[in-house]
Amino acid sequence: MPRGERGAVDSHRGPGSGRATLPLREAWRRAGRLPSARAYGRVERWLFAPGDPRRLAALRIGLGGLLAARLASGPYPELATQPPALFRPISFLRLLDQMPSPEVVAVLQALALGAAVLATVGLLTRATLPLAWLAALPLVAMTSSLGKVVHNDVLLLLCLVPLLPSRAGAAWSLDARQRPVAARGPAFGWPVRTAMVVVAGAYFFSGLAKLLHAGPAWVASGNIRWVLYASSDGQPEPNPFALFVADRPVLAHLVAAATLAVELGFPLVLWRPRLAWLFVPAVVAMHAGIGLAMHLDYSVMAATVLVVMVDWPALADRIVPPGNPPGGSPDPSGPRPVDVEERP
Amino acid sequence: MLGVEQPSSPSTLAPAPRWARWFVGAFLALFVVCGLAGLEAWPLTGWRLFADARQARQPGFQAVTVDRADRETPVPFAGLPAGYQGYVQVLRGFAGLPTAEQAAVCQAWAEAVRDRGGEVAEVRIYQTVTDVSARIGDRGAPPERARRFTCRPRSADAAG
Repeated sequence: MPRGERGAVDSHRGPGSGRATLPLREAWRRAGRLPSARAYGRVERWLFAPGDPRRLAALRIGLGGLLAARLASGPYPELATQPPALFRPISFLRLLDQMPSPEVVAVLQALALGAAVLATVGLLTRATLPLAWLAALPLVAMTSSLGKVVHNDVLLLLCLVPLLPSRAGAAWSLDARQRPVAARGPAFGWPVRTAMVVVAGAYFFSGLAKLLHAGPAWVASGNIRWVLYASSDGQPEPNPFALFVADRPVLAHLVAAATLAVELGFPLVLWRPRLAWLFVPAVVAMHAGIGLAMHLDYSVMAATVLVVMVDWPALADRIVPPGNPPGGSPDPSGPRPVDVEERP
Repeated sequence: MLGVEQPSSPSTLAPAPRWARWFVGAFLALFVVCGLAGLEAWPLTGWRLFADARQARQPGFQAVTVDRADRETPVPFAGLPAGYQGYVQVLRGFAGLPTAEQAAVCQAWAEAVRDRGGEVAEVRIYQTVTDVSARIGDRGAPPERARRFTCRPRSADAAG
């Protein structure tokens, strides 16, 4: 067949490939030149770029420690005695007619807490971290089976998901003491960045839900004033923080606008890591403000943001420069000190 | 050493494995779909935190216990165990419950109050409308209320 009559299949044969390029493959390749596909490629390259094993270890320690603290102090034994008539199950707990029995809760709590502590110190991490997460899941679901989703713990659970199959115990762990020092690599980047996407997404979707359900009225109406007045009236004593804002309409509008701006803008941190200096303190302040004014506890959510978004190894290296341990000689085999985050 | 890239072993230089890409892709896809669509597939969630714009006049419910002298006392939910703290949602859905379940809810609240030394002849549920913009000092004005339900829970003796 003359070359000009071969059509699309043969005309796109790659140099030296000896193999015809299928139309589907070519369409895929052309799609790759579209702006959206290029953006997807950039996001994928950022997500799966190499990372510092110590940053992943910091997430394991921070999130594992938070989970252990929640499991140790949670109201699970009390919830187990709830009368069945008040049970409002969520998710897989709908399979039950009432809260799990006190005996089941005690076993789950001991198992989850023990595994969470072991995962935090990094002992048998590949087994203990998934075990802690799985055993904690029904316990945390109990706290959301009163008729309302408790988002405080949900962010923690979701940020732990990418760590479950990862090599989170490769540094700063008891497991790592028996192995060579892990070097920076792709295995340590994606779990951290996936957790960062989850944190950014949580705040963005919270802001988006406000826009979709309330629209501009969330900021422009008296919404925040009425929320704060109602919250103060529901507390045993009038709340001075709530009343301070609610009594000042302009301030209430500013608080509402700032809340929405921080929530919708949080994903910018993924693009410009330096913006974390603005957004991370802002959401911590937001949760602290809600705690003071409304007596609603979002401390675990705030702590999860700090654990995930702060580059703890870089901070540690600023305090104790690597290769210059206090009272010790320089260690040439030490891990790379500074984790420079690539932008998506 | 500071600023020097440590030589990496071949395994650490390899790109992320295919399973990791699928795992992350599937997880983030579910996370984004739930966030965008507002779906609740716990632990995935639609992130509806304070998402509605409140009005000054706020509808609600109030549960009170009544003793034999017909004195009303609000059910002290704040002092009850964690399992009772979903009362706002239970009250909101109370009208839609079958009669037997309504009676069971009243029974649970009555027993909790009795356990704390209270006397309960009846449980009454009021529908309320509170205008939080109407202030009396640092407190809101009392709500307008209309009785919607009355339950007569069994006594502890009768229940046995």
